[in-house]
Amino acid sequence: MKPWKRKSINRETKMKQKVIFMGFILFLFTAVVAFSNTELERLDNSVFEKPHRPGAVFEHDDHNEMAEIDDCAVCHHVYENKKLVEDESSEDSFCSDCHFLKANQENLISLEVAYHKQCRDCHFEENKGPVLCGECHIKE
Amino acid sequence: MSNDMEIKDKPSVVKEKNTDEAVEAGLAKLTPERIKNTINQVLQKETGPRFKAYVETCMHCGLCAEACLYFLSNDRDPSYSPAGKVKQTIWEMLDKKGEVSIEFLRRAVHIAHTECNVCKRCSMYCPFGIDIAYLMLMVRRICHKLEITPLYIQDTVNSHSATMNQMWVKEDEWIDTLQWQEEDAREEFEDLRIPLDKEGADIMYSVIAPEPKFQAGLLYQAATIMHAAGISWTMPSSPGWDNSNMAMFTGDNEISGRIARAFYETAARLKVKKIVMGECGHAFRSTYDVGNRWIGWAMPPFEVVHALEFYHELLTSGRITIAEKFKKTVTLHDPCNVSRGRGLHDMAREVTNMLCESFIDMTPNREHNFCCGAGGGVINCGPPYKGERMINNKFKAEQLKATGAEVLIAPCHNCHSGLEDIVHHYDLNMEVKFLGDIIYETMEKKIYKPGD
Amino acid sequence: MNAFIDFIMGPMVWIAFLIFILGLIFKLVIIIKDVNDRESYIYSYLTLKHSLRSIFAWLIPFFPQSTKQSPVFYSISYIFHLLLFIVPIFLMSHIVLVNEAFQVSWVALDDGLADILTLVVIIALVFFAIRRYTVPEVKYLTSYKDYILILIIALPFITGFLAYHQFFLYKAMVIAHVISGEIMLILIPFSRFSHMIVAPLTRAYMGSEFGNVRHAKDW
Repeated sequence: MKPWKRKSINRETKMKQKVIFMGFILFLFTAVVAFSNTELERLDNSVFEKPHRPGAVFEHDDHNEMAEIDDCAVCHHVYENKKLVEDESSEDSFCSDCHFLKANQENLISLEVAYHKQCRDCHFEENKGPVLCGECHIKE
Repeated sequence: MSNDMEIKDKPSVVKEKNTDEAVEAGLAKLTPERIKNTINQVLQKETGPRFKAYVETCMHCGLCAEACLYFLSNDRDPSYSPAGKVKQTIWEMLDKKGEVSIEFLRRAVHIAHTECNVCKRCSMYCPFGIDIAYLMLMVRRICHKLEITPLYIQDTVNSHSATMNQMWVKEDEWIDTLQWQEEDAREEFEDLRIPLDKEGADIMYSVIAPEPKFQAGLLYQAATIMHAAGISWTMPSSPGWDNSNMAMFTGDNEISGRIARAFYETAARLKVKKIVMGECGHAFRSTYDVGNRWIGWAMPPFEVVHALEFYHELLTSGRITIAEKFKKTVTLHDPCNVSRGRGLHDMAREVTNMLCESFIDMTPNREHNFCCGAGGGVINCGPPYKGERMINNKFKAEQLKATGAEVLIAPCHNCHSGLEDIVHHYDLNMEVKFLGDIIYETMEKKIYKPGD
Repeated sequence: MNAFIDFIMGPMVWIAFLIFILGLIFKLVIIIKDVNDRESYIYSYLTLKHSLRSIFAWLIPFFPQSTKQSPVFYSISYIFHLLLFIVPIFLMSHIVLVNEAFQVSWVALDDGLADILTLVVIIALVFFAIRRYTVPEVKYLTSYKDYILILIIALPFITGFLAYHQFFLYKAMVIAHVISGEIMLILIPFSRFSHMIVAPLTRAYMGSEFGNVRHAKDW
């Protein structure tokens, strides 16, 4: 049977067409969202004056789920007098509250270095996750 | 250079790579083993870090090509470029660890002896300052040890070895010639002497063997200049009078050293203050730069002065005065061994200007002057190679022609002979002269009286 | 994979730089020892004044006669040699890594500029390769090894360029970049790239012979 030779279309076929059409629209929509700049969840890098690279792609919850991290303090650490304070975490404050744009006497680790080391050192230790510049700083 | 200046090859000259009976006879006697052992002995035992640095550092950039008269004269044929010649000789010897063929050696001896004047112009065009002439001399050293040195130049070395002069001049012939010139000159300057073996003279005047052999007039001229200037001078009567050193160019370093030693010892025996060399470049190179090293002196044990510098001194101090300046237009060829080899090029211009009315410089000049194409032992390889030499000197002919000068001054024997060949071959209609010729022609013929 | 990356970006960098620096020092020591043992006459002629005179004369762009006669080659060569050092040393990505490792940093090139300069280096290398193939007197001296030398220098720059732009195969490109850079460093002391330290020495000797004995210029 050759469909293009049919003269009438039954209801069932019409219904199918509607579903396919809606599906197509939905696909387009997700595709547009998926490939638009806003799609990737990136770290907020607005504190840097002139960032050289786009903010690192980081999906907080997915990351922690995959990495099986429950304890916030694993990343959101607290240091006092340059010593790690056990059982305290800092998720309520900004990283930049302690890590300044430029390293100084108070804190030897600049914000940029803090980010890089925080992610990469762990990824190297765990032998998992991205470690190369462009794997996180994906081009926009 | 513009096209109308272009020099045409003579159709009668067919370029082929010649050889000669000494090279062929030497090659016929070689065994692969001897070749290998000799090459490896020279390259491993007679060289050091300098050689290593040169061969291991060359980036094969080809910039040295632009420097070479042979490359430019042969329509930029890369096999004539300095590094190209190293590639065809040293590189392959190293690559094959000395296991090279007879055919290879025939080519190598031809390249090292007749396609390179060891003038060192290329060293000034290599960004690294690699001494390519040194590498070519190393090839000649290997050829010498393999006994395949070209016939005519080997004959001069044999003469050096047997007589301590280059031209088989016998001791009595040498003294006779000097006395004959003295006698002739006394007709012009009545008290003129050519003092032989005068101990404690200020200056020992020294020439190359071709002067007594067939250019005795030069001895006459030199004697008149010395006389007119009132110089306390002497010439040795014994072996050691010849300052030339062809062994230096065949890689026969042992004989080269003997020649240099005999020369300095003669000067020491005569207790002279300094040595004045005739207008010869390679002899100056031997006594000022090379021979002294072979016998263990960093610099010559005597003050050695090239004629050019001596004339400059005579003219600036007023010991020689010029009666009337030379009229014809002149140009000056800077010999490698006194310009690039001793930095006398500015002095040469001063002397020329003091002697001549109109001086036209050639381009390039001074340290950058092109080689005469004859020096470094090339012309001494003799007639079998003359045809090739003329083709290899084409670019030089163009440089000379562009000056338009009537007279070409060449204060060096090798240059003088080579340039004369070029002038005739390419019909340049120039007269080739030594500075001494012009001084003799133009100076006031003062008759020196003792006590003046 | 991260362990491998950790190795090539950690210990291997140390190894490469140590071989590079110690290799050059070793080379220098061997040369000096060889000169002492076999050609100590060199010291009779070598003078600091004439060595430096010659080296500096050859460092001044378009001062030596040879450089005036081949202006295109020398222009490209000057720029190439400068950028060969400037681009990697002042590249921001490199400085960031050094800063993380040693807490030292210095002024960085703008990324866009560095990008262009990288292209300039690559173009210069392409020029060298084409020159090798087309100019008869250079072609005559050229063997496959000369192209390999060009490739060894080109690879870190090409992979670096591609990695920066994240065009394709990003991860592979960075890894290739790191490895090719290390290979380049390691090979310097053992290849003709050692002209980096040997050329000043040959220049110094020739400069001394010319200045001290020959009383002439060698440029």
